[in-house]
Amino acid sequence: MYDMNRVENAVSQTDIKIAARGVQVYYGDKHALKDVDVDILDKTVTAFIGPSGCGKSTFLRCINRMNDTIPIARVEGKIALDGEDIYDRRVDPVQLRAKIGMVFQKPNPFPKSIYDNVAYGPRIHGLSRNRAELDEIVEKALRGAALWNEVKDRLQEPGTGLSGGQQQRLCIARAVATAPEVLLMDEPCSALDPIATGQVEELIDQLREQFSVVIVTHSMQQAARVSQKTAFFHLGNLVEYGETDDIFTKPQDSRTEAYISGRIG
Amino acid sequence: MPLSWALFASLLLAFAGYLLGRSRAFAAAGPDVRQLHSRPTYHGASVALTALMPALAVLAIASILRMAGVITAEAGTIVGLIALAASVLGLGWAATRIGRDFQARNAVERIVLGLLIMCSLIAILTTAGIVLSLLFETGRFFQVYDWKTFFFGTEWTPRFQGNSQLGILPLLWGTLYISFIALIVSVPVGLFAAIYMSEYASKRVRSFAKPAIEVLAGIPTIVYGLFALVVVGPMLRDYFAQPLQLGNSASSVLTAGLVMGIMLIPFVSSLSDDIINAVPQSLRDGALGLGSTPSETIRQVVLPAALPGIVGAVLLAASRAIGETMIVVLGAGAAAQLGLNPFEAMTTITVKIVSQLTGDSDFNSPETLVAFALGLTLFIITLALNVVALYIVRKYREQYE
Repeated sequence: MYDMNRVENAVSQTDIKIAARGVQVYYGDKHALKDVDVDILDKTVTAFIGPSGCGKSTFLRCINRMNDTIPIARVEGKIALDGEDIYDRRVDPVQLRAKIGMVFQKPNPFPKSIYDNVAYGPRIHGLSRNRAELDEIVEKALRGAALWNEVKDRLQEPGTGLSGGQQQRLCIARAVATAPEVLLMDEPCSALDPIATGQVEELIDQLREQFSVVIVTHSMQQAARVSQKTAFFHLGNLVEYGETDDIFTKPQDSRTEAYISGRIG
Repeated sequence: MPLSWALFASLLLAFAGYLLGRSRAFAAAGPDVRQLHSRPTYHGASVALTALMPALAVLAIASILRMAGVITAEAGTIVGLIALAASVLGLGWAATRIGRDFQARNAVERIVLGLLIMCSLIAILTTAGIVLSLLFETGRFFQVYDWKTFFFGTEWTPRFQGNSQLGILPLLWGTLYISFIALIVSVPVGLFAAIYMSEYASKRVRSFAKPAIEVLAGIPTIVYGLFALVVVGPMLRDYFAQPLQLGNSASSVLTAGLVMGIMLIPFVSSLSDDIINAVPQSLRDGALGLGSTPSETIRQVVLPAALPGIVGAVLLAASRAIGETMIVVLGAGAAAQLGLNPFEAMTTITVKIVSQLTGDSDFNSPETLVAFALGLTLFIITLALNVVALYIVRKYREQYE
């Protein structure tokens, strides 16, 4: 099923961070994702859009093998990170997830202090040799998540005491602190108000300079605002994938057009 | 039995009142039932309750008066007649109220609300009553026995001829020692079982293993006591105490502690299992998504999140261990002593309460009254533990729900 020619026929190969070929996902008897081929570029924001249950979150969870934690889920096909299949038997999903960070729909800070939340990843992966280095990583991550100024005086307070928008930025800082190569975001703004959403979107735009970001979103405006590439999923199929501007202005598929104009969804 | 006949008669009256009220309501409504404020069944219920309540009130007051000694048992017939009369009067009065505008539904709901409040009051008042009775008898005990000797005495040698040494310390020590060993056994085993069940076990294993563990919780403690007596005690003596020259007794602190620990395993594991399951899945996903292994996730995220609840569970287990009696009687013996050797026989407060109150002695000597002082002490210890445990558990719940 894995065909090198298909990879080489794709866009400029050097920029491809993740190449998925023929990905199928089954939840028990349900065929949730059907034969998805997609190339995700480095240092680019890629948005996955589509109606609920279309498979976009399912595909996102394939990229860091989070579907492994669901006993009834079965994934077929190939997903290559920098040319290496992440579903190869020798790949340890734990190590993979250190390289591919994830931010979830609902802010999920750990019941620890703000500092310990951010330091969690660096600690388990041994990214720092001493406290000073760890402090530096934490500060950099919090600055990167545009949260530093708000929390620098209360780093030892519990992360759960922050507001919803701050919690989500804390979770982004936590993911960024692990120095990932890809950041997956599963509807990161769906629990946030418009102001916090704006802050997170701005942040996504900055993060693009460091690594590639894949974002699942229900909001087409958000996809149009933050992404360069957009993939439209429908009923488990990847219907259309291309430049965000093209998807929203001249969609090739009638289903894409129907969705972005609000007729299906 | 005139009183139970009166009760039975007023129940019949209430049933008749229900039918009467309903049919009168239909009659009052005329052809269109929507003319009524309340549906006919509410009118029926209102009549039934108004017939029943006065009779119950009369019977309740009569039994209180009887306990207080104001009336005697011979007054039963009169009381029964009064109750019946009250019932008939209530029924008659309620029947006259039925009409299109009578708000029967509101009346019934008020009465039901009153009943609910009364039931919760009964639970609270009973607790208060138990405490009061303990307090009263304990007060009598301290009138005939010095409280300092009781609380600080290191000797427990009750003699029914009088002149007993009744120091609580050996009993308290035995209680705490045995409970401590029980917790050492039950907390790690129960907690690790819970972690396995909730985090690692597949659905099939879980559906089999969880009920299997919980079967342990259904075994009466006396059966555990037998297990301690015939298996654990002799085994500990033959394989540990005698070879190590630490004692010759099959009854020992260790026997009772071990068996009590086994008894508490399902208690600890099922409480901890619920608590661990209540930790939101999003926290596990967050930790796994950062590249933690499942075990790092459990140790660094799930358990800290569940910790307050687990502490609560452990304290609840501790208060059960402190109150346990049968396992100690059969496992640890009845010798009250202060000592560190876990292979020696010791005893606990609960066991001594039983032994002080069984046998024929009068209820005025310090040797019997001491049981109430012991009971009160035990009650206060477990109450304090429960309060702390519930406080911690509640604090934890507020965080995630």
